[in-house]
Amino acid sequence: MNRSRMKKISMSFGILGVAAILLLHYMVFFWVPTELSMGIVQRIFYIHVPSWWVAFISFGVVALCSGVYLWLGDDRLDAAAVTAAEGGMIFTTIGLLTGPLWGKIAWGAWWTWEPRLTLALLLWFIYLGYFLVRRSTLNPERGKRLAAVVGIIGVLDIPLIHVSVSWLRSLHPEAVVLNPDGPTLDESMLATLLVGLLAYSLIFVCLFTVRYSTELVDRATQMQDV
Amino acid sequence: MKYLSVVWAVARKDLLVEMRTLERLTAMGAFSVLIGVLFHFSIDTSLIRVQTIAPSLIWMATIFVGMLGLGRIYTIEDENRALSGLLQSPISLDALYFGKVLSNSILLLSIVVLILVVFAVFFNLSFPGGWLGWISLSGVILLGVLSFVSIMTLLSAVAVNNTMGESIIPVLVLPLLVPIVIHTVTATNRIFANRPFAEIEGNLRMLAAIVLIFLVAGASLFRFAIEE
Repeated sequence: MNRSRMKKISMSFGILGVAAILLLHYMVFFWVPTELSMGIVQRIFYIHVPSWWVAFISFGVVALCSGVYLWLGDDRLDAAAVTAAEGGMIFTTIGLLTGPLWGKIAWGAWWTWEPRLTLALLLWFIYLGYFLVRRSTLNPERGKRLAAVVGIIGVLDIPLIHVSVSWLRSLHPEAVVLNPDGPTLDESMLATLLVGLLAYSLIFVCLFTVRYSTELVDRATQMQDV
Repeated sequence: MKYLSVVWAVARKDLLVEMRTLERLTAMGAFSVLIGVLFHFSIDTSLIRVQTIAPSLIWMATIFVGMLGLGRIYTIEDENRALSGLLQSPISLDALYFGKVLSNSILLLSIVVLILVVFAVFFNLSFPGGWLGWISLSGVILLGVLSFVSIMTLLSAVAVNNTMGESIIPVLVLPLLVPIVIHTVTATNRIFANRPFAEIEGNLRMLAAIVLIFLVAGASLFRFAIEE
């Protein structure tokens, strides 16, 4: 795919994403009703949940691209993996910052060692290691391979962490959308959440395509310098 | 059979080198005793009953000592260019991985025995009564050490030719150790409290699953981590 086409795609996703973000904030502040038991603080849910949605998708992309990169050795797959990992770090950080803001009022504590929070924190550190490995290895090609190994091991460890920490009592609210008995959310709340998921996904695709194309240009420049 | 003899040859070579130099074993042994001393003075015994937290400290000591010793698995070999020779030898890299897991597990198991003795003396620890307690404790230690070593053997390769050296290993490995810590510490605490076997059965199963997943992942990904 050439650069100008990539630029057009990222611009389109960016415009749609910004429009969806504006709509989301209008819905969050002026349209959606206040939740009865948790009050106004529940509105952070429309930012918190979409950020985790995107974070988990991006880490899935990291693992998939890393696995195929180790198999085929195509440098573009490594560029896609590192781009997705950067996106994942940004959205995980948003999730980690918005969660305690809600938790302080809902639970009376900034932090509890419940399964999903613990998993989130550990994910952040696993991908910090992913970037450290890349940057600290003397041979860049080896750094890419090692980062791919860390990316795969990190994703393999996610279910183990979740199941293990779940042995302890969980405080986190149960799933209200992907519930076996169907969504338990009010219709307007569900609509706001879906707009949030769409907005964050569009922003992620926009950031991904912009960063992916600059990563490819950066690598091509480095190759020319060599 | 040939595969197993290759695995054993690699493990035997590593253990032989260690027995001749005693480099890692001395450092790990001394660290185990000193960490026991520090743990003892870091606890206010007028507020906390040491016996209740000793099993947790045993595993923390094992992890720290393991990080110290196993973090240097490849750097020692790389310093003498022995690693390049090993990689050029006509053996499969997964056999090399399993050989290293075996030798490091034997090394760490011997250190865990030392840690148990140190904690028994310093903390006046009462060991579980009955053969079932001892078998359960041995099972938890074996599975805990195997799971830890399987992930350390894979990720210690990162320290070779790395600007951060071995200091990068804790950042990579500690987040991955959470499931291992949860199950080993929970099971060990219950064994020391003489609770029935049914209460630790689930932990042992989870540890066995973790060992299996990490060993398969380690053997599959080892060649990407170790090759230059």
